[in-house]
Formats: sequence, structure tokens, C-alpha cells
Amino acid sequence: MSAALACDGLTIRFGAFTALSAVSLSFAPRQIHAVCGQNGAGKTTFARACAGLLAPSAGTIQIGGNPLRGGHVKDARAAGVELVHQSFALPPSFTIAEAMEFGLTGKRGAVFTRRGLQARWRGHLEALGVDAKPSTRIRDLPVETQQAVEIARALAGDARVLILDEPTAVLAPAAAEALFERLKRLRDSGVTVLIILHKIREVLAVADTVSVLRGGKLVAGPDDAASLTAARIATAIIGHSPAPAGDSAETAEDIGALVGTDLPHGHRHTLTGPRSVAALTGVTTRPGADGQSLQNITLTVGAGEILGIAGVEGNGQRPLVEALAGLVPLTEGSVTLDGATVTDLPLAERRKRGLRIIPFERNTEGLSLSSPLWENFAARSLLAKSALSLIDPAALRRAAHKAFQSWDVRFTSVDNPARSLSGGNAQKVILSREMDAEAKLIILAQPTRGLDLGATAFVWQAMRETRDRGLGLILISSDLDELFDISDRLIVLQGGRIAGQFAPPYDLGRVGSAMVGEH
Amino acid sequence: MMDLIVAVLRTGTPMIYVAMAGVLAQRAGVWNLGLEGLMITGACASAVIAEQTGSVALGLLGAVGFCVLLSALLWLVIEKLKANPIIAGLGLTGLGLGGTDFGIQAVYGSEGAVTAPAGIPTLGPAFGPFGVLDALVLAMPVMVFGVWFACRRTRFGLRLTASGEHPFAARSVGADPARMRLIALLLGGVLAGLGGAELSLGGLDIFSVGMTAGRGFMAFSAVIFGAGHPVGATFAALFFALVEFLGIKAQLVFGEHAPRDFVLMLPYIATVLGIWISARLRGGALLSAIEMRDG
Repeated sequence: MSAALACDGLTIRFGAFTALSAVSLSFAPRQIHAVCGQNGAGKTTFARACAGLLAPSAGTIQIGGNPLRGGHVKDARAAGVELVHQSFALPPSFTIAEAMEFGLTGKRGAVFTRRGLQARWRGHLEALGVDAKPSTRIRDLPVETQQAVEIARALAGDARVLILDEPTAVLAPAAAEALFERLKRLRDSGVTVLIILHKIREVLAVADTVSVLRGGKLVAGPDDAASLTAARIATAIIGHSPAPAGDSAETAEDIGALVGTDLPHGHRHTLTGPRSVAALTGVTTRPGADGQSLQNITLTVGAGEILGIAGVEGNGQRPLVEALAGLVPLTEGSVTLDGATVTDLPLAERRKRGLRIIPFERNTEGLSLSSPLWENFAARSLLAKSALSLIDPAALRRAAHKAFQSWDVRFTSVDNPARSLSGGNAQKVILSREMDAEAKLIILAQPTRGLDLGATAFVWQAMRETRDRGLGLILISSDLDELFDISDRLIVLQGGRIAGQFAPPYDLGRVGSAMVGEH
Repeated sequence: MMDLIVAVLRTGTPMIYVAMAGVLAQRAGVWNLGLEGLMITGACASAVIAEQTGSVALGLLGAVGFCVLLSALLWLVIEKLKANPIIAGLGLTGLGLGGTDFGIQAVYGSEGAVTAPAGIPTLGPAFGPFGVLDALVLAMPVMVFGVWFACRRTRFGLRLTASGEHPFAARSVGADPARMRLIALLLGGVLAGLGGAELSLGGLDIFSVGMTAGRGFMAFSAVIFGAGHPVGATFAALFFALVEFLGIKAQLVFGEHAPRDFVLMLPYIATVLGIWISARLRGGALLSAIEMRDG
């Protein structure tokens, strides 16, 4: 029997960078194949090449025994290959019915009425368990439903190979399990499933075979999942990449959290002081452009504490940061920082009182990519001064140089633009700027997203050290492994409300049900 | 009342054709600031060709041809030379305004105007006050319906919209956003050419240098005011035409008492107000739409 999808010597280069290097793999039909590896291992590149979105620099891809013309999405789709993207690829203004339709090929039904279009897709959507009206707009859907729509879109035609790129990254644990059940049913109905994952726990729960990519090369697989252990997969994923530094008890749990073998349960940590560094009292905000708001949020962050904020993305995480930063007006409630009420103070004043933020989007909110590194670093001190004060560029350059060295940033010159840095180094630049001596409360929004294992471990270590200096930290993450591993306390946001508060040892089932609004 | 309807239709129609060109481009992800340049090119080419050949039909054809060529040029500059679409569009507007000025001076000397031997055929006196409406005004509702249908009721339209709103999504289903933009710009060239021709051959049958006087930009504003929806943009353009008509009426009624410069400013003030209102209503959606391109 010929393979459902096979590649031979598949190599993909972006300029001088080789994202995939001579990968040869063959996937048997009617099975669930997991492809795993850490960030930057080439998983997404691999998925996109198989779907025809990227043209191989060398090597071939075969679908059902027939060669695929590289870089031709249409050909790949005609051969039955469909890709579900990590951050979904559906135009937000489309209705569900339109999103189902726009990718369809073939002459039939190219013209439609609105009602006809909805009727055309209602049955298909129901059959796949998509629980929303076909007339709902994509931007109004929660992420799980968006993903279900994207999967339904992928299955609208005659899909024989379904590729999913990190589908669990946006899902609550229960939704991930439901997704796995759905994929198993698809497999049993004859579809070959390729699933990109980075948590070993999930790999073992769903996959028939496992392949591991590291640094763009295939290091293992496809191996029968039944013959593998979590430890063996973890070794293949980590390889010789820098192991987390620090004391050994934490290191062992960090590694588990990094590759997602066993979910950490967290440790109780004694606060260095009883005082709170920040508090929200009854805070409510108006819905922003993305529809998110806060509803009656009351929370405190203690000195020497890491407060974890869990929740499915889009449930109030962004307004929480904005409320603490003074970027949205509150309709009700108050904010205190280091003992003083700052409800009506602008961000600049709050920063003077020790508020620091590692923002969600490091390349747009955290750094000015086109500006030199020293200017990015100097932004903190410059913004604290009046607009007419004189600056000393040479001194700022020296200060940046010194800070970057102590934070282990790999850079060639402080005059290089920020865009010249890799994700991990860029994040270190932000950390070096925001985790300074005058900081009191540090908000970290998805601080390790997209970072490789070494850089992730570095960020965690920096957080622990800062906490031990007596600062308060708020960690917003969609990765429960990360939250469980380093949070001293956990709050779950759901629909802009606090849906639960948890202390270690954390219980996945209870945190998970709070995330989806079950109590 | 009849006068009002007729006058608004006649003033509005050229803008509506050009606005539909803008709608197509906007849906495909190009904020086409070259509309003013396309419109004046269409107005100029149609009048000059009609004057030289004596045929209005050839004039219309020529206007369409020139505008399609210029749109293809805009596409090349944006897609192949990777220029910023806003700047490239403004460049096209400069090219249109300057090129027609230069062309007229070169061919006809310094008069700055061309008189065509005839205009686009009208209904005729048998239809009373509506008799002055010409073929392009009558075809306008059909054209708007066609654009609406193509955008909102066909898979082609969905792919066009996806190409502008989320190019990666379009690529993921095998559509080529660059190709969709080419189609949208070329179709827009046809419509903008007709809109320009209607401006010069739709009544006075004269082309004079700079006669668009910002109407292409007003058409662009109508696209924003109408949120990229064909029908919305049409009503926005009709609204701008209504304001212009009321200004002229005010001058006739109040004579000297209506300050002339202020009256002439009215349509432009309405345009600025329209943009402001739509920005208030949609809370910065315009900016995010511009940033969205290839994001």
C-alpha cells in the first residue's frame, strides 16, 4: 500500500536560513501521525510544505504515490491535502457559511443566495458538531468554534490527508480531548491525520505514530507510538539543547513542563512579605474592539509572588493588562499599585511607581524593530524624563551594553536594529529593560510564546529570581504546563470574570472546567 | 423635486462608477488613491478621442483602455516592484492630473479645454426632465447591482474579499491574492474609465484641465463612508452629489448673499464629515484594514 503522504530529502530554505533539512518521511494511510519538536524545530514549515504553501528548495513530496508540484496549494488540495493553521486562516468578517464556501473548488454553486448558502452548509456543520449558526461572523466566535469551523472547512471537500498545526495551543484541556476524539473518528472513516504537537502527553493520547524534528532535521520516526515512552520522546525533542539552569528539583519539573510529559502540580512558595504590590477591586471595563472586557475583577498580587492567570485566549487577558496599565478607562472599580491608588493615573505615572510590562506581542508592542537596540533599551529611562530633558546617547549605549551582557543577550552591536535578534534574544532585551531595580510589579503576557526550550527556561528562571527579590509578578499564559510549573497561585479568567482561584497542588480537571465556564 | 433627482443622478453617477472601482480594489486589499488620476484620464481620453474621431463610442472605449492600462501599471508597481500602495496610488493621481494637462496643452495649445462634437446618447426630450439622463446614468443601477452581486453572492467575491482581508487565508485555499488584486484593479479600470467619460461627455461635452476637482478623492471617501459595500458607497456618493446640488441651489436663490467660496467648499466639507462619522462609527476599523494587508 502506498503512503498517504511521503517526502524525500525535503529541504526548505528562507534566504540563508535552513528551516528544514533533508527530511525523509513516509506516513501510512488511515492513521494519526504526530510530528513533534520544540519551537523552531521546523514543524510548521513542514506542515506548510506538505500543504503546498511553501515550495521545497530541494527534495520531493508525494501524496498517495503521486508527486506534488511544490508551492501549489491548488494541486495539494486537489490531491486531498488540507491544512488547519495554528492561528486560523479565516477572514474575520466572513460568516461561517461564507468561510466554508470561499475555499471550495469546482464550478457547481459558485453563485448563491445568502439563504441558499446557509442551507448548503448547515448539515455539514451539524454533522461535524459545529455548534453555531451559519450566519454568525467568524470574529464573533470563540476560538474553539473557530477551530471547529476551520476543520469543517478543511473537510468540506474530499480531504484524504488532514494536517493540523498545533491545534491544542488554543484549547482548554476538555476541548483538546474532544478534538482528539473527533480526529480518531475521522481516522476510522478513512482520513489520514498529521498532527503537529509539542506536548508529549498529548502525543501519547492521540497518535498512532510519532516523528520528532529538531533543528529542521528528522531525529526520530515515524515510530509506533505504542513502543515509545514519554522519556524517550522527551530526549529526542530536547537533544543537546541548553538545559534549564538552576537548582535541580525545579529543573526536573521545568523539563517536564517544557516538553509536556507530566503536568506539574506546582509548589507552595512562602511569600517574602505580607504586603500586596498591586490590587484590582471590583474592576469592570467596557468591551474593547475585540469584544473583551473585565467584569467585576478583584485580585491582589503579593510581594514575592507569581500570580498565574489561566484561561482560553480572548477571555479578558488583554483588558486585564490594559486595566493595570491604565490603557482603558474603568467603568467601575479601582486599581492600587504599591499601596497607592492609581485608578486615574496614566501609564507613565504608573511606570514611575514600579509597573513594568512584558507585552503580548514582543515585535509590535515590546520593541521597535527598526530602532537600534540601545534606543529600545533606553525607552524606559527616557520616557520617565520630561520631553525637554537632555539625553546622553553615549551613556545610554553603555548602559544598554552592560544590561544586555548581564542578561546574556546575544548581539553584535547595540546600534543594530531590534529586528536583527532572534525571538529569545529579543525577549531578553525586553526583560532587561522591564525587570530593573525600581520595578515593583511586572506583568508578563505570554512571555515564552514562540521561544525555544532554552530561552523559555531562561525566562522562567528570571521570573523566579525576580520573585525572590520581593517583586510581584503576574504571568498570563495559555500554556497550563507553564502556569502550573511556576505560579504560586492561579486565577482562571472566563468571559472577563474570575472563574476560579487555585493554589498548588493544581488539579487539571478543576482548572480546565473553570476555563470553559463549568463550576 | 424632479430637478433635484436628475441633478443628483447626473452629478453622482461619475463618482459612483469611480467609487465602484474603489470598492473592488478595497475588497482586494488595495486602498486605491489613484482613482482621481484614473477619473481625469477617462474624462480626458474620452473627450479627446471623440473630438479627433467624431465617435463617442470610440471615446468611451479609449477612456476604458487608458484606465485599464494605468490600473495594470499600478498593479505592477504595487505587486512586482513592491511599492507602498498608498504612495503608488497618489503617484498615479499625479500622473493622471499632470499627464492630461500636459497632453491637452501639447495638442490643443494653451486653451486647456476640448469640446467634443457630441455627448453620450440621452433619453431625449420625450422624457421631460429625465430626458437629459444619458446611457451611463441609466446603466448605473445595473452596474452597482452587478458589483454587489459579484462581491457578495459569488465565490469569486468571497475570494476577492479574503484576498484583501486575510491574504494568507486566501493563499491557504489556493487563491492567489496578487492575481485577485490584478483582476480587481483591471475591472476597476473599466469602471473608472466610464466614470471619467461620464464626467466629460455626460452633459457639457467638454473636457477642461483639472475638471475632476477632487471627485476621484470623493469617490474614494465614498468607499470608506460606505464601508467597502457597493450599495453603501453608492449612497455615499449620491449624498456628496446632493450636497453639491444644494450648494448650487443656494447660490441661485441667495445670489450675492451666499459666499461663493463657501458654497464651493460644501461637498468637500461633507466628505470630511462623512469620513469622520464613519471613523467614529467603526472605531478605527479603517486603520486596521490598512495595516491588515499581508499581515
